[in-house]
Amino acid sequence: MINDPLSVITLVPLAVGLALLIMPKILSSAEGLARASRAISMGVALAMLAITTMIFLGEIGSIDWTDYGSGYSLTNESFLLIPSIGVSWSVGIDALSFPMVWLTTLLIPVSMLVEWDAKKGHLFHPLILIMEGALIGVFVSLDMFVFYVFWELTLVPMFFLIMVWGGDDRRYASMKFFIYTFTASVVMLIGILVLYLYTPDVAGSGTITGHTFDLGVMLSSASSIPSEGLRHLVWIMLLIGFATKMPSVPVHTWLPDAHVQAPTAGSMLLAGVMLKMGAYGFLRIAVTALPESTMVFIPLLIFLGMVSLVYGAWVCMGQTNLKRMVAYSSVSHMGLIFLGIATMQPLGIAGALFMMFAHGIISPLLFAVAGAFKHHYHTLEIGSMRGIAHHSPWMAGHMMLGWMASLGLPLLAGFVAEVTILIAFWMSFGWLVMLPALTLIITAVYYLTSMQRTIFESNDPHQGILPDSLHGEDPSDITWHENAGMLILGALTVLFGILPFIFWDMMSDWSSGFMIDVLVQAMESEGVNP
Amino acid sequence: MSESKSEAGLLVYILPFLAIVPLMHNQGWDSSEAAILIVAVPFVTFPVILVVGQLYNGHDTWKNKLKEGGILALGALGTSLSAALWIIYDYFDALPDFGDQHSISQWLEWVSFDLLQSDYTLTSETNILGVGVWVDSVTLMLLFVATFLCFLICWFSLGYMNTDPINEDRNHRFYGEFVLFALGMFGMVLADNFLWLFIFWEIMGLCSYLLIGFYYWKESAAYAAKKAFLTTRVGDVFLMVGLFMLYDIYGSLEFSVIFHDPSLHGAVDSAQLFWALLMMFIGAVGKSAQFPLHVWLPDAMEGPTPVSALIHAATMVNAGLYLVARMVPFVDVGHHGVPGLEDLGLIVAYVGGITAFMAAAIAFVQNDIKKVLAYSTMSQLAYIFTGLGAALWFYNHDEHHAAVVVFGASMFHLFNHAMAKGMLFMASGSVIHEVHHAHDHLHHGHGDHGHFDPQDMRNMGGLASKMPITATAMMVGSMSIIGIPLIGGFWSKEGIIAETWLAALDHEPLMIGPAILVILTAGMTGFYMSRMWFMTFAGEPKSDVVEHVHEATPWIKEPLIVLTVVSALGGIAFALLGATDYLSSSYGDAGHLKLHESTLMESVIYQLEHAFLPENQNLRLVGWTTILLSFIIGPVFAARIHGGPLSEGESATPAVSWLVRISGKFGSQDVSSLSESDLAEALENRLYFDDLYEGLLAKTVLPMASFAAWFDRNVIDGVIKQIESNSVSGSLQIRTITTGSARDYILMAVVGMLSIIALIWGISS
Repeated sequence: MINDPLSVITLVPLAVGLALLIMPKILSSAEGLARASRAISMGVALAMLAITTMIFLGEIGSIDWTDYGSGYSLTNESFLLIPSIGVSWSVGIDALSFPMVWLTTLLIPVSMLVEWDAKKGHLFHPLILIMEGALIGVFVSLDMFVFYVFWELTLVPMFFLIMVWGGDDRRYASMKFFIYTFTASVVMLIGILVLYLYTPDVAGSGTITGHTFDLGVMLSSASSIPSEGLRHLVWIMLLIGFATKMPSVPVHTWLPDAHVQAPTAGSMLLAGVMLKMGAYGFLRIAVTALPESTMVFIPLLIFLGMVSLVYGAWVCMGQTNLKRMVAYSSVSHMGLIFLGIATMQPLGIAGALFMMFAHGIISPLLFAVAGAFKHHYHTLEIGSMRGIAHHSPWMAGHMMLGWMASLGLPLLAGFVAEVTILIAFWMSFGWLVMLPALTLIITAVYYLTSMQRTIFESNDPHQGILPDSLHGEDPSDITWHENAGMLILGALTVLFGILPFIFWDMMSDWSSGFMIDVLVQAMESEGVNP
Repeated sequence: MSESKSEAGLLVYILPFLAIVPLMHNQGWDSSEAAILIVAVPFVTFPVILVVGQLYNGHDTWKNKLKEGGILALGALGTSLSAALWIIYDYFDALPDFGDQHSISQWLEWVSFDLLQSDYTLTSETNILGVGVWVDSVTLMLLFVATFLCFLICWFSLGYMNTDPINEDRNHRFYGEFVLFALGMFGMVLADNFLWLFIFWEIMGLCSYLLIGFYYWKESAAYAAKKAFLTTRVGDVFLMVGLFMLYDIYGSLEFSVIFHDPSLHGAVDSAQLFWALLMMFIGAVGKSAQFPLHVWLPDAMEGPTPVSALIHAATMVNAGLYLVARMVPFVDVGHHGVPGLEDLGLIVAYVGGITAFMAAAIAFVQNDIKKVLAYSTMSQLAYIFTGLGAALWFYNHDEHHAAVVVFGASMFHLFNHAMAKGMLFMASGSVIHEVHHAHDHLHHGHGDHGHFDPQDMRNMGGLASKMPITATAMMVGSMSIIGIPLIGGFWSKEGIIAETWLAALDHEPLMIGPAILVILTAGMTGFYMSRMWFMTFAGEPKSDVVEHVHEATPWIKEPLIVLTVVSALGGIAFALLGATDYLSSSYGDAGHLKLHESTLMESVIYQLEHAFLPENQNLRLVGWTTILLSFIIGPVFAARIHGGPLSEGESATPAVSWLVRISGKFGSQDVSSLSESDLAEALENRLYFDDLYEGLLAKTVLPMASFAAWFDRNVIDGVIKQIESNSVSGSLQIRTITTGSARDYILMAVVGMLSIIALIWGISS
């Protein structure tokens, strides 16, 4: 157990979450569990956060994070799960996956905290715990089969979160979310299976198939696919799965519906971690396995990234629903990740990694604010509730901080990512940088306009303009646990904005190593100039 | 009296803050290490004020002893001021040892990374975007301006904000954001690289947004705040791209690297550098509210008056000037600068000249006392831009002497303008505050609030006898802005105008445009500043409120008195000490604040000769024309229209009484026909720039945004929905197996995956 902390943080939340869901149903004597399940879930989540924090600090595993050469850390002795087809349980982390793992273990307790008083809490909190296990599983598993299982497993708790605790249109949204992303994942799965079929027969390969799902073997043997056309096809199939998850225009339309209907905690996890699975998978699998195809498709990446960024920002500006606007802003920001990768500079890739992390703490803050808005004012229409600064100064403050962080204000986490990606972008593509740069203005426009119509403009210093949905009642102020959750996220946004090197250094090192190890050769052979 | 005594007693609370710097000195710290205090102390104070204020809102100690955080803010700014003074003292003390006239200390490797070079290898040394401090003469001057004025404005706010009932229980927000604003400026001035300059630059943008929108319930304030942020943001984005280009050229954004040898032995492409600097200049244009990004500044008056003082004098708008001043090493061909950038100087000078003239013209017709000052700020900043443009041009042509003079004059004008404008805004705040107070007192219970505008000068007149200190202060401040000989801004403005003309006459004919514009503006400045003063303080009272005005609020007088002295005497004092040479010493020349000649008297004579009787005949003509326009023609016209003696039996301080009496002697002129002309209407509508921009945005951006939203919903998602409805039978089947159980889904996923594996395996083998 002690020697294998990654298996612990993956499996314990899954096991505890399942137990908390099922036990009270089966055993009548375990009814007390239902009452305690909220506290137990929180306890487990905090324990996981403690473990990942200790991993980061070197208390567990004493990892040198800025040493790309050491490869995966905290790997276990893999053992075969399904010998017939070569599936094994093997885990490990590096500087690409660790920030995501830490982010997951952070966001789980915070989102539990924000929805501390959720209805049917004895089901709600264990579901989030299951979510944690599934998400961590995606980031740590070094077996493609297990990766895919976790990848799809994340859909299940999220489906229920939307289905049971969602808004009025939750049925449609949850179905759309599930089927949409599931379909894309199946396309991705076909790509993975093609890779699988070209793996050599090594130790641990399936007794029947003679192939292995081992991540390292699969990635390195991808170049043995003889036909260039097939390689490109596989790359495209992988991209479809990952781009849908990120999401990138034009396969993004599941996101606004899912977000608007999802409960606050669901939105926070969806935007905070689930979207990053797409970018993570893209780098870990598509780019690593098929660097030559990546070079060929750089124009496509720029196109997708640019369209997501620019078009997403324009769509944001046309929204009248607060949560929808925030959801589209995620589409817009995820576009920058593709742009960062497309620069083919360590700086740009590190910027993309930092964007994944920064967006992972900023967007949950945005959704926490939007969720609290809905919770206390029973509406999400921008402009129907004005003068929050009077009614709820704390929420106004969190909103201001979150919105500013998202529009890229310096000394907040998002700025570091934006500025590094754009510097690299200038170096690679010159004046084309004006397009993303000018989009920063559009981003500022929609965020500021939405604040103008919510925080400000009540016409009366002692009174807000209240929405009809309150039916004349005075709105309640945000609760202590909402406030605490937002404070934590806000503080981290500031912390990583002022001291980005906490995670930046390892990301930068990983990007440099990744460039030299994986990409440079492909760049040379495909004639891509740095 | 007892009240003001107990108020003064509150200053005890700031003593611990003021003790920090002496303590550090005792502990053997270095002043450059203390530079971090200038930023760090306000940075810690800012969240403390906000959070404590939120938690203890309305609590007695918080409200009356700590002035809702105002005392804490004052203490923090006091620490910054004392640390700044320490650095300034040390700098002069150690100056002979300062080879390059700057001290640097690098603290932190903020973001480090590798780059892939064209030979597909990584750069051997890791690139670093770091954090550090850079101190030279320009830094010191701006640091002093910012810390000194922020401290005084905060002091003033204790009187202005805390006695206004509308702000009750909200002032912690004001002081928290105030402190953040101040630290933004301090940090920007101290930063040793362009990235951190930009970072603090943006922090100021945020704070201007927050403070302009301080009266959050007012729609106009919310709109003005948004407008300020977005307009400056447009400039900021260009600045950011400029920085990317600069980084690409030099591989660093540190001053110490770039300024050391900007030409890198001729390897720099001057065209690319030109574009980089031009992009950065657009950022400066936005921040310093120059044409065509000037529209936000007048609206920024929606914030409380101390905020106006802060934005217009101490912080924000100076940032753009500072940035342009930092462009000098790039163009200074005498010190490794890159040749072929003279167009940049011309562009800067033209933007300055146009803005100076336009803003002065609009100021003619403003009746809101703060609006006049706002346009005056734009116009005066534009002077400095013109001067800097000329300086850039001279530097790039290796006309070293002229460049040094005009660069120094521009920076000196920044100092004079900041001191005078900070004071003018506080004085106008004093007027507004007292008029408002008197109006409330007079009409209490009458219920006609809302119709009376305490900022409208048409409700004032004859205040000279009611507010002697304010009237004197405003008189001196206005004189400094106008450039009345020997006072304040005279010493710097003369230099700017003369050197711009020198450039136009002797070197570059195209410079004639800005040269003509700035000399005309000198006369216009004389008019609109005098007009403002006469409308407010001279003549008969124009409303019954005036009778009830008293200068009674504590905390308001002291900053006015201090700044009156500085505005009146600072110009000549620093002129005698050779401020112009000193301020240009940042870039390669030795310079020290010291008398030009051996004795004081000789120095005075030297400076007077220099100012009034320059050797170049053309410049002599230019100089005297300027004096004639600004000192005689402008003020006299203003006096004819708005001047006049006070009512019978009213008296004011001697200088003010004299001025008021004089103003009545030029006869009077009726300009009502002129004020109804189309030109006046156009000016009142700010030459329709706001309408133009708003119309343009409403016709392009808004429809496009709506279209994008519609498109996304109906076209992109519509396609998906189409697929969905076409397979409705399939989805019905899916629903029948949607049991809602997690296990079933996992089972389905696994079964599905296994069958696909089997299928593909079957095909491939």
